[in-house]
Amino acid sequence: MPTITFSLKDLQHLIGKKITIEEIHELSHYGKGDFEGYDEESDEVKIDFGDTNLPYLWSVEGFARLIKGILGMQKGIPKIKISKGDYQVVVDKSVVKYRPFISCFAAKGKKVDDYLIKQLVQLQEKFCETYGRRRQKVSIGLYSYSRLKFPVHYKAADPLSVEFVPLEFKSKMNLKDILAEHPKGKEYSWILEGFEKYPLLTDDKNEVMSLVPIINSNFTGKIEIGDENMLFEATGTDDEAVNLAAVIFAYALHERGFELHSVEVRYPDRKKTSPDLEIKDVAIKNEQIKYLFGLELKESEIKHLLEKAQFEFENQKVKVPPYRKDILHPYDVIEDIGIMYGFDKIKESQLQTFTAGSILRINEFIDKIREIAVGLGYQEVMSPILTNKDLLYKNMNVDDFGTIEIDDYMSETYSVVRSWLLPNLMEVLSRNKHVSFPQKVFEEGLVNTRKGDDVKEWSRIAVASSHDNSNYTEMKQILDYILKCFGLKCDIEEAEHNSFIEGRVGRAIVKGKKVAYLGEINPVVLTNWGLEMPVVALELNLSELFEMVERK
Amino acid sequence: MEIKKLAESLNPSERKVFKVLDNFSSFHDIMKVTGLKDVEVMRALQWLQNKNVVKIEEKQKELVSLDENGHNYLKYGLPEKRFLEAVEKSENISGISKKTNLSSEEIAISLGTLKSKNAIEIEKGKEIVVSITEHGKHLLKHGFPEEQFLKENFPRELSSLNEEEKLALDSLRKRKKIVKVELSKIISAELTDIGKKLLKENIDDNLIEKITPSLIKTNAWKGKKFRRFDVKINVPSIFAGRKQHYRRFLDEVRQKFIALGFKEMTGPLVETDFWDMDSLFMPQFHAARDIHQGYYIKEPKYAKDLPENVVKNVKAAHENGFNTGSKGWRYEFDVKRTHRHMLRTQGTACSARMLASKDLQIPGKYFAIARCFRYDVTDATHLSDFFQTEGIVVEEGLNFRHLKGLLRMFAEEFTETSQIKIVPGYYPYTEPSASLYAKHPQLDWIELGGSGIFRPEMVKPLLGREVPVLAWGIGIDRLAMFKLGIKDIRQLFSHDLEFLRNAKVV
Repeated sequence: MPTITFSLKDLQHLIGKKITIEEIHELSHYGKGDFEGYDEESDEVKIDFGDTNLPYLWSVEGFARLIKGILGMQKGIPKIKISKGDYQVVVDKSVVKYRPFISCFAAKGKKVDDYLIKQLVQLQEKFCETYGRRRQKVSIGLYSYSRLKFPVHYKAADPLSVEFVPLEFKSKMNLKDILAEHPKGKEYSWILEGFEKYPLLTDDKNEVMSLVPIINSNFTGKIEIGDENMLFEATGTDDEAVNLAAVIFAYALHERGFELHSVEVRYPDRKKTSPDLEIKDVAIKNEQIKYLFGLELKESEIKHLLEKAQFEFENQKVKVPPYRKDILHPYDVIEDIGIMYGFDKIKESQLQTFTAGSILRINEFIDKIREIAVGLGYQEVMSPILTNKDLLYKNMNVDDFGTIEIDDYMSETYSVVRSWLLPNLMEVLSRNKHVSFPQKVFEEGLVNTRKGDDVKEWSRIAVASSHDNSNYTEMKQILDYILKCFGLKCDIEEAEHNSFIEGRVGRAIVKGKKVAYLGEINPVVLTNWGLEMPVVALELNLSELFEMVERK
Repeated sequence: MEIKKLAESLNPSERKVFKVLDNFSSFHDIMKVTGLKDVEVMRALQWLQNKNVVKIEEKQKELVSLDENGHNYLKYGLPEKRFLEAVEKSENISGISKKTNLSSEEIAISLGTLKSKNAIEIEKGKEIVVSITEHGKHLLKHGFPEEQFLKENFPRELSSLNEEEKLALDSLRKRKKIVKVELSKIISAELTDIGKKLLKENIDDNLIEKITPSLIKTNAWKGKKFRRFDVKINVPSIFAGRKQHYRRFLDEVRQKFIALGFKEMTGPLVETDFWDMDSLFMPQFHAARDIHQGYYIKEPKYAKDLPENVVKNVKAAHENGFNTGSKGWRYEFDVKRTHRHMLRTQGTACSARMLASKDLQIPGKYFAIARCFRYDVTDATHLSDFFQTEGIVVEEGLNFRHLKGLLRMFAEEFTETSQIKIVPGYYPYTEPSASLYAKHPQLDWIELGGSGIFRPEMVKPLLGREVPVLAWGIGIDRLAMFKLGIKDIRQLFSHDLEFLRNAKVV
């Protein structure tokens, strides 16, 4: 899902080896990525990494790490060095009920340049939007800590009594106004909806660093070209995901040559060193590899493949690097064994067991009906199932008879599920006024209606004929003929239906069930559709008819 | 064609026209002589021309003919002549006007014309008095050349006029609506060499035109010949009742799956979060489950008919992995939300229902061509309402090697290629997951579909035990567009009747 962009030269620099675009194309498959292109002029490579549970790949550093493993340039879990730092974050108990978790680290010793800022922002955005569920679960901030006085305080603050200058703004605003007026405030205010107090990061001088997870301060809350000292912070509602953000950034900055320093996070009830780089174990069995891939591998082969994928393997236990939180089941590790073995090298087998194919009974019946309609000279049409109430009811001169409506539709044109088919045919006729007559059309398809707390789904067929001699008899003949083909007969009762001309509309009853309307279309309806040619039509319930035919 | 056969192929109006062509060539004359209407003559000539009997010539000509006033003046005489006749010796204007009934405009024209012809003299006093000259008298006696011209047999070709006539025409053209000169098509027909040969043939007027029931009953056709028809003739097009183009394609896809041993499965359009996503082990907080990825419906909000024991298993799978050896997603599963109604977003919902169904057969192969809905703008490459083709193969002992074999079979079946690439992919509910690329003979490498083996966290809660389930989906829209020669995806659901009637049957 997330597409990342990076410079080819940078990737080569991080790997320490020249590789071609063709190689990158192939290598991206190992990360379940789709190579999307390379622009020679800007040296930009684009790759879409589809696995939403592998956010470490949404950075060029992470992709370079993967490649080094595949190429055998780095075996097992990549080493990371992080020294104990003299930095503290104090978590106040006021914030715990809103957004309880925070993870931090410091990075220094190198100057930040324009390209690195872009890469950090890209990773931050992809991570927060997708994995962080649009910042609700995780949000990330970067600061230049030379402007800060430690310890940093994480607390909940009254929206009206705290003021600061948000990024890209010039004057101080209170928290409530920032949510109402700042573009980021408007975009993310939904996360804080219903909160009495808002999460806030300040330094020890009570200088505001960030209104979490909305916007940083214009004074402390940004990284600029030439900065050497960075403080990373991630907050959120899920401890593991917040820590994962810190781990992924820590690995990326380590690989860029920064010195990393841990931060002590003091929760009201405990202390924690951040980030948590714990390596976890997963037990796998050789049979599981055989079960999933049909591969019989030796212990040494398994170890080799796992090391390529940057795991480690000892005593049937796989050690998982801290930036991999996608391992829920042993199969998740075994898939990586298969990937590193090479999907293309795994032998193909044919399915051996004979099974009889078959089509659904109702679809068999529907196909017979369609065949008859075609034989009667009718052109089949197929329409979108999504439509709107104007076409279903207003144009058809009837009241809503129970509609499945979409809660948050994208376009009014497609805002409900069709409740009957005839409006589709009227739409077809209205779009073809210039085309030669007679126009005879039919559509078979599903319709849905709402009856109280129930949703009803039916297969129906609608048939319409339009020419200057079209009349009721024509439709009655078609209905009679279709029924006769299945050994059925109908009684017709006079009906009231405002889509049809009064006195020229019938309701067909087969074996006591009302299965169809048929008649001449009301001139009011014709005019609504802009039609000048008479139309006769019927709509028949095939689900009901099918039941009758099956029961016989 | 032989001349004899040719003679037998002429229809009645062709015969009529042909017989006069020896003597007449102009369209006008042919009409007069045959007594046929102009369309009949034209059609007959065209047919004859198709048979190489005549050559029709069309010329653009300037034709002179009388206009509205010209017809009047032909009947009543030119106004200047009537004016001059009213002047016996000398007369004032009001007298002339009374005698001739000419309009004041006509009188003014007459005054000007006659003065320039030196036919009158004008005295201006209290009233204008006009007297006739000798030349005037001469004109009256010998006639006005313009009036003479009006009596010609119109229409006449401009180029056929002599000098004198041209002078008359020029002077009349300066006046209102007397004569007009128009561009016109002159049609004439000349016999070709074949036509001339045909003249020598006996043209039988007794050929049978139409075979009728009475002709058969009475044996009246015996001893007579049927007129030969031009069997190579172009005829007006017709259209038939037929299946919709995309639906026909989908019908064929369905037949292919049946031939490969797959049973059709289904599910409702109005689905639940449960069958559409939760049962597929997609966590409720998953990015693909944002409100804006699918269409939730207003009312009824919640389904009442979920199998609650299966819901319980799925809840456990999400929260702690059920008894699959998985950690699960480790969050509190929202049971109310799982009942939420939405429009089906993926055909995999049908597979989930099948796995939980008492009708499931193991070993078994299943497929669905399922209508699905996505929160998308409708444009040339996107629909918010489309078909997905999905399926499963359930059997003990199957693994990724069989999945590869299955994918190759699909590639061969749907793209007629055996060149395929199977690369790692990602789906929340399969592990391993793979994407299938096929080298299409025309489209080069295309992504044909996605596949994998369902995760135990999905299979076990639905089925009660772990069995290998190979799952796959094929991007059928793109194949359909290619096969049907369609560039805009909306045309799969076209409402254009001309297009529907004339779409190629493939």
